[in-house]
Amino acid sequence: MIRLVHLNKSYPSPSGSVVALEDVDLTIEDGAIYGIIGLSGAGKSTLVRCINLLETPTSGQVIVDGEDLTKVKTKRLHEIRRNIGMIFQSFNLLEQRTVEENVRFPLELARFKREEARSRAEELLSLVGLSEKAKAYPSQLSGGQKQRVAIARALALRPKYLLCDEATSALDPSNTASVLQLLKEINRTLGVTVVVITHEMRVVESICTDVAVLDNSRVAESGRVADVFSFPKSDIAKRLVLPDLIRTVEGAGGKKLRLVFRGEEAGAPVISGLALDCGVAVNILYADTKEIGGKTYGHMVITLPADGDGAQRARAYLKQRNVVYEEEAS
Amino acid sequence: MNLLASTILQQLFEQNTILLGVWETVYMTALSTAFAYLFGLPLGIVLVLTERDGLHPVPWLNKTLGFIVNAFRSFPFVILMVAFLPVSKALIGTRSGNGAMIVMLVIAATPYVARMVESSMKEVDRGVVEAARSMGASTFQIVRKVYLPEARPSLVVGAVISTITVLGYSAMAGEIGGGGLGKIAIAYGYQRFKDDVIWVCVAFTAVIVELIQEGGMLLARRLDHRLRQRPKKSRKTKKIICKENG
Repeated sequence: MIRLVHLNKSYPSPSGSVVALEDVDLTIEDGAIYGIIGLSGAGKSTLVRCINLLETPTSGQVIVDGEDLTKVKTKRLHEIRRNIGMIFQSFNLLEQRTVEENVRFPLELARFKREEARSRAEELLSLVGLSEKAKAYPSQLSGGQKQRVAIARALALRPKYLLCDEATSALDPSNTASVLQLLKEINRTLGVTVVVITHEMRVVESICTDVAVLDNSRVAESGRVADVFSFPKSDIAKRLVLPDLIRTVEGAGGKKLRLVFRGEEAGAPVISGLALDCGVAVNILYADTKEIGGKTYGHMVITLPADGDGAQRARAYLKQRNVVYEEEAS
Repeated sequence: MNLLASTILQQLFEQNTILLGVWETVYMTALSTAFAYLFGLPLGIVLVLTERDGLHPVPWLNKTLGFIVNAFRSFPFVILMVAFLPVSKALIGTRSGNGAMIVMLVIAATPYVARMVESSMKEVDRGVVEAARSMGASTFQIVRKVYLPEARPSLVVGAVISTITVLGYSAMAGEIGGGGLGKIAIAYGYQRFKDDVIWVCVAFTAVIVELIQEGGMLLARRLDHRLRQRPKKSRKTKKIICKENG
């Protein structure tokens, strides 16, 4: 388990100190695929670098499996880092080493025997599907292949955790999908806890179990992906989860409800029910469905009739049909 | 040719003085550069590591070393040679001859080499260094397994430039008691007004420079795995070959 406790990080700058993280508290449970999402400049990259202490927090604790990394000696820190793999947006492969030598690199650092390192590298390359590229150099690979090599390298020491810093941001959609699939597979088959830093909603949607939304150096909200995505509470989460919704809803007058469909009832004809059974004419401002973890989630924003009675009937109908809704402020 | 060449030049060739000069120039240059790297490479590494955002920031050490390096680099070589002859006396017991010149060349070239090494190492992608850190690499491992191998092609190019600079310096050493082509050019060419001797020395030096330059660059290209794929260029060469054939 990784726990960040009251984490603060600021950088000195000529015009006073710049705050990158402010009082961040997070718990990342073992086995999770934990997404940390935020706009650029929100502090995501600093946050992930605090987990393996590539960045030293100004104050607060980083507790990995019960050990506070901010307190351990350098040598111990190096050992702990071997249990936390990391991949990057720009892949960061050693350009002068072959693919196989890159994968072997962490094993060399940890002074593994040559033969052992070789066979481990072979195993990892077949895991990421790049066995035939073992002798190639990074410059001969595509972005997606480079990231696969980076993943193989990060897994070489059988880490318990894998940190991914915008790992798919430099990839095209099809490579993004296959790299995400690979991460999911690694989580499932090897039991590696994955921390994913991203600014892309679809990354969180497609693989994460939990999510923390970072805004302005702070955690705006966190929780299970399904919960945060169905009922985003903070402004920033709403903006990220339902980017078009805010644009559509702002400016439209009248009473508005946001209906959330989860799983089974996503297919039920609620709107026609409203019209036919209650005689309430609703106007649909926005509708969208998403797949999260294999389940379908739908969001719909409707305007209610101006008369209080109709609005009341509509609410009662929705309650009766077990449709979850929230009043949407204008 | 014999009619045009001065008797002095003919004598220099007959007594193998020119060849000896070539040999002296080559070994002075090679030894001096090698020693300059012996001291300059670690110095360059320390400069990179102790920088403010380096792996081991020690600002005062970095500033001090930087200052010393700059101070030595601001000496014109001729002046440095004369000023530091006592050092040679103290170190190897003589202030003249090729040995003393090598000491002077090493003193002059070490700070130069340190800056060369520093700039090559700074070309290494910070992200790669960060990746190595994330794997629990120690600073020593990062230098040995990331900085030096990743900067290798650039280090070789730097070594080529350094060697040629030392070669140039070594010619000046001929002025104050060193041997080599520089001394021949000055003693027989300049002081006895034999332009042809000067030109022959220049020609030999040029050949040596050319060999170092081309050989070094070839090596650097061979060592660099970033440039393996250059489809555009190879296609072009093929086209040219086709044209020549047909």
